[in-house]
Amino acid sequence: MNHPMNGAGAVSGLGMTEMGRVYRSAIDLASEAVYLAIDDAGIDKSELDGLLINTGITRGLDLHLHVALGLQELNLLTFMQGYGSSAGQMIQYAAMAVANGLAKNVACVFADAPLVDGQRTGASYSGGRRFGGDALSSLHGLYGFTGAIPMFAMAAQRHMDLFGTTRDQLGQIAVSQRAWAGLNERATKREPITLSEYHDSPWVVEPFHVLDCCLVSNGAICVIVTSAEQARDGRQPPVYIRGFAQGHRHDTGQTVPDSAIRGPGSRSASRALAMANASLGEVTQCQLYDCYTYTVLVTLEDYGFCEKGEGGAFVEDGRLGPGGALPTNTGGGELSSYYMWGMTPISEAVIQGRGQAGERQSSNDLIICSGNGGMLNYHSTVVLSPETAS
Amino acid sequence: MSQSEDESWLPKPSSRTAPFFEAASEGKLRLQCCDDCGTWTFPYRERCQHCGSRSIVWRDASGRGTLYSHGLLRRAYHPRHEDRLPIVLAQVDVTEGVRLSTNLVDVEPGAVKVGMEVEVAFESLPDGGIIPVFRPVID
Repeated sequence: MNHPMNGAGAVSGLGMTEMGRVYRSAIDLASEAVYLAIDDAGIDKSELDGLLINTGITRGLDLHLHVALGLQELNLLTFMQGYGSSAGQMIQYAAMAVANGLAKNVACVFADAPLVDGQRTGASYSGGRRFGGDALSSLHGLYGFTGAIPMFAMAAQRHMDLFGTTRDQLGQIAVSQRAWAGLNERATKREPITLSEYHDSPWVVEPFHVLDCCLVSNGAICVIVTSAEQARDGRQPPVYIRGFAQGHRHDTGQTVPDSAIRGPGSRSASRALAMANASLGEVTQCQLYDCYTYTVLVTLEDYGFCEKGEGGAFVEDGRLGPGGALPTNTGGGELSSYYMWGMTPISEAVIQGRGQAGERQSSNDLIICSGNGGMLNYHSTVVLSPETAS
Repeated sequence: MSQSEDESWLPKPSSRTAPFFEAASEGKLRLQCCDDCGTWTFPYRERCQHCGSRSIVWRDASGRGTLYSHGLLRRAYHPRHEDRLPIVLAQVDVTEGVRLSTNLVDVEPGAVKVGMEVEVAFESLPDGGIIPVFRPVID
């Protein structure tokens, strides 16, 4: 039986600012993305009656974005925070809203501006030089747990120690995505890299090199969600929201679950595919949250593309890259293209779903997108397709 | 500013967290435990994560555990690390069922493996404070 939400909502508009070392405020960037998305969707600003807002590490946006945008007749307005799972979550709440008459056109926007002129790239994420605070919290910095890199590096190390996953296999994910980035004019890093160059890139926390870690980008992306009926009359080819789900847990304090190698993505993906009335084998491309190379590997396993522990072998033949059997992160992803949290996979999925990806266009029948927040703690899945539910 | 001049990063225990640091100065690992259901917890909580009880007490833990995972810190982000790299980052599953983020000391980085048996050890801070770390158990 068809799920009532399968294909009920669709993406009708996409707005993307320039991304990278763009020294503008998050509010300014977010506003531009919303205006670009409205224009892309072919609607008037007065038709925008829903706004969902999410911001990144510098918390440059809040509920008041609607003031900057001069929106006076909203039927839906919320500031949300699920870290890297937020973008997928916004799409989900927007789809439910348009399907149930709460709003007609919902803008889902993310913006952040962590890069500051004259400051090193990762400063906003590693907390700069601010240490201290509560005594037990201060231990984190004192031991060397600053930002997210140490926890993800250790997660990857556990996978390597338990399953024999190799540094070459992690590196192949970075190499494959950089090859995709070469085909994306929006990508920050487009020069191809070899496995040897990957191994030569500086260490951060072993087993992670710099090239295992995502970029840091300033910028904004807005997606407009409307009903399937209205999207068919839009300016752009509709991209239908076929399925979605979330999965959340924490990894704090207790020794259960085995949080480094199993995320909540398995629960999320299976329920999203069930809503889409589809099987994993029907997925033609993946847009996976890739804060680190390892995040891609563990998500592929959690989603069931291969058995737990076999992710390394699954990716090592270039399966994810251009010409591979499972095109993944076809815009270059967060590793090579731009880091707009969960909007990175969602935006590329919309471009692919419309068939507007140019040289990197891949089979787009069924696209699965993941969003990840925390140390594999907060997860969202969205299934998109240019085809409505059959 | 040198490390000795800037000590703003040193832990400043409050009445809530003092038992942890007092225990370290006595050469012990002390963690919170639920007096009702027996679930241990870290970091500081007012209520048991498992049963919801507010009867949380501090108890001495065994100080023994196994290595859940590890990484090798190669960049200094913290004033204490500038002359100490590389540092072995570790997650230790102590026998009481709590996973601690800590450091592994007295070990060659290449010899560190998931699952190895570890025990608590202690390091001094410039202000005389003591913090727990872990080291491999030598049979």
